[in-house]
Amino acid sequence: MSSRFGPAARAALTLLLAWLVLYPILIAVGEAAHGDAIRAFASRPGEWRALWASVWISFASVALAGALGVPLAFLFEWLDLPGRKALGALIALPAVLPPFVGVIAFLFLYGESGFVARAVQALFGLRSAPWRLQGAGAILLVHAYSMYVYFYLFTRAGLARLDASLVEAAQALGAGRWGTLRRVTLPLLRQSLAGAALLVFLTALGSFSAPYVFGGGFRVMTTQIVATKLNGELRLAMVETATLALVALAGLAVLRRTEGEDLVTALGKGTGPRRRPIHRASLRALATAAGWLFAALLLLPHLTLLLVSLVPYGSWTTETLPPILSVVNYGRLFAEPERLRPLVNSLWMAAASTCAAVGLALAAGELAGRRRAGRWRGPIAALVALPWAVPGTVFAVALATTFSVHQPLALRWVLVGSVVLLPFAYLVRSLPVTGRAVLAGYWQLDPALEEAAASLGAGLWATFRRVTLPLLKPALAAGGSLAFVASLGDFVTSIVLYTYDNRPISIEIMSSLRVSEMGVAAAFGVVLMVVSAIVLGLGARR
Amino acid sequence: MRSAECGVNEANAECGMRSAECQGERRVAARPPTAIPHSAFRTPHWLLGVTLLALLTGCGGDRRTPLVIYSPHGRDLLTLLERRFEQLHPDVDVRWLDMGSQEVYERLRSERANPQADLWFGGPATIFARGARDSLLEPFRPDWAGAIDPHGRAPGDVYFAAYETPVVLVYAEQAVKPEEAPQDWDDLLAPRWKGKLLVRDPLASGTMRAVWGMIIERGLKATGDTGAGFRWLRRLDAQTKEYVLNGPLLDQKIVRQEGLVTIWDLPDILLSRRDGLRLGYVFPKSGTPVIEDAIGIVRGARHRAAAQAFEEYVGSVEAQLLAAREAYRLPGRLDLPLDSLPAWAREVRRVMRVADVDWDALAERGPGWMRYWDESVRGRGVGEGGESGS
Repeated sequence: MSSRFGPAARAALTLLLAWLVLYPILIAVGEAAHGDAIRAFASRPGEWRALWASVWISFASVALAGALGVPLAFLFEWLDLPGRKALGALIALPAVLPPFVGVIAFLFLYGESGFVARAVQALFGLRSAPWRLQGAGAILLVHAYSMYVYFYLFTRAGLARLDASLVEAAQALGAGRWGTLRRVTLPLLRQSLAGAALLVFLTALGSFSAPYVFGGGFRVMTTQIVATKLNGELRLAMVETATLALVALAGLAVLRRTEGEDLVTALGKGTGPRRRPIHRASLRALATAAGWLFAALLLLPHLTLLLVSLVPYGSWTTETLPPILSVVNYGRLFAEPERLRPLVNSLWMAAASTCAAVGLALAAGELAGRRRAGRWRGPIAALVALPWAVPGTVFAVALATTFSVHQPLALRWVLVGSVVLLPFAYLVRSLPVTGRAVLAGYWQLDPALEEAAASLGAGLWATFRRVTLPLLKPALAAGGSLAFVASLGDFVTSIVLYTYDNRPISIEIMSSLRVSEMGVAAAFGVVLMVVSAIVLGLGARR
Repeated sequence: MRSAECGVNEANAECGMRSAECQGERRVAARPPTAIPHSAFRTPHWLLGVTLLALLTGCGGDRRTPLVIYSPHGRDLLTLLERRFEQLHPDVDVRWLDMGSQEVYERLRSERANPQADLWFGGPATIFARGARDSLLEPFRPDWAGAIDPHGRAPGDVYFAAYETPVVLVYAEQAVKPEEAPQDWDDLLAPRWKGKLLVRDPLASGTMRAVWGMIIERGLKATGDTGAGFRWLRRLDAQTKEYVLNGPLLDQKIVRQEGLVTIWDLPDILLSRRDGLRLGYVFPKSGTPVIEDAIGIVRGARHRAAAQAFEEYVGSVEAQLLAAREAYRLPGRLDLPLDSLPAWAREVRRVMRVADVDWDALAERGPGWMRYWDESVRGRGVGEGGESGS
């Protein structure tokens, strides 16, 4: 197939991707290139403080998330605990806590007058709250909680692919447990770990909700941009935006370098190591209890959200626990058409953008994904991965800037204020997820199967539909479901680009919070959580 | 025969114990290993259904003229006016988007090439003035323009003050007795409120910007220098426990007694009191800033006639009284007979002393002051004795 379309199709795809991904950012950077704004940026210590804060918070998030996620992955992949499957799934649940309202749930739970703080205060008879959830510590807590999932999932996937024969060989050669781990297992996991580290670093760099809610005077770049815009210094805000994008790109480049080649894992054809059962009954019980306790701890924010969603408006003020519980908030959600509308909007936009992103990823895979694809593979894969490196706020601002001018010759049209711009942004933001999954899927395709189909008389389309697609199905389902969930809950891009006709759930959550309807906001959050969990569950089915 | 049955039973028993894993294995085993599935995807039907539903509801039509309003006023007031206005104008469908006043300005700026809103309703006149400078507004003079304070009329008729929003000192009623509550701005610096004062993050709030502006202008008038005002704000920073993200969270935190006193606008406090939050308030003795809450038509509005009708309606005697009675907005009109106002509004007119704020200077120099405050005062407060604050 690829040979017939040849370089023309590949060039066209590369150009299309460049227009989608790179062009808006270049335009935004061009707008930012004003001498006095750059000088203002360089001369203000506050800007450098925020930049430094962004960088160190991101590295610390990587360290914390890794410290939490990697051991858990080993635990659940190597040890045979009772209820391992259920626990293993529960532990991935922080991934479905919706961004903005999830942070608010943290506030209700661990905040100064939240459940946990009040309980500790009562337990020890303290006169004032034992802690305050504020500043860098609070941001790191939320980041570690929501981002260790990346390390956990990536490491588990890596361990599942691990060739047990290599580990056995090391042991047969006299390596101890520690030596095997250090010299064999970890090097084999390098790609998974680097991938997770990259994802956490970039997510933390672009993270907005947690610094926004907990940061206060502690600024990171994302909140600094908002503060500058609030103060009306739009040029400076553009410079800040461009700086943040540059830092992200630098991070991407550095971590890409450490990712290395996947030769060893690609060669491995053995089976994964068998799980070790724990034989001592007491140890087993202890491990099980610890596992469930940890899962319960992880689920507390979700449960808090559920509880808050059951509190009718204005009925909960100073009590420790809400006095009345009812489903009235859910009733309002589904009975009032103007509140149902955002739900429908989010669903269609996420569905449309995911379909388009999967389609583009398939095109990229078909044209440049196979092992023999040659020199187009590099640029196409890089373009597909680029939106990862660009924080959501930056990309949204870039899109709004690019598409507020009517210059068809420069490939710019007025799309600002129209319904299509937001799903367009979701599409681009989904590209790395679907693209990575599909490109990896094509890379692993056995060319013999497609050749066999062709020699049996199947045409191009039939081969694609009956051989290639079914083989790619797990990759498509995994990438598609992740992209769908991310678009469904998106907050940072939406806040810049929404209009009346396509206002999504996250915006409705925000405006409910603005008018103190915590219950309705939480109910929206719960619905979002349930839909996300279902879609992810469908996507993970093999 | 018997042995086969036995085998099945055994398998079932095991399934009972580890049902999830067992089912998984069985499904794999049931599929002939050589079969190629006919289609890669069997169940995207629900997705199709959702998309169709979305399209249908999207296109489902209503022949009325849509009137899109960007407003920070909140659901209470907006729903109230929407219902009544739609009764009076059955051919108009009022659609509002609720967002912060600063956000409205941002959004109008970014949508300038393709304006989506028809009307900008609510927010301090200082922000409207910036909007007017950026030519985001279109001139229109409603009939009620003559009935408001002359300062509430913008040059070029691009916006008019529909309501007045006073700032008050707020305290937690359950923990502070009314006679102990701070009575004036300087009382906030008293040692007993150290660590008990919560403040709405002033950068994102028009209300707080007005207060900060008043403090700095007060110092400027007395000493000819902004230093006095910033020194006062630095002392206030030392008293401040936390800068809170938004108004509702601030109310919650005061009620839960994370802090005992704060500064906020009167309509919000009255609405929270109506909803059962125990908040008390005081008008500062030396005078308080009263923010002019404006309304104006967006340049390039698609439904200009409907927007003009709505602006006329907001300033009408009926709507002004409705907003005062139901949503605690202080009417911008000065020609309303005092006895037609609700009790709280009469009380405000009797007790409140309006501080003299130079709004034009504030609109001009405010952003610079706020930038300085954010970089050099926030979190670096110094108390009376010179020790470093939170």
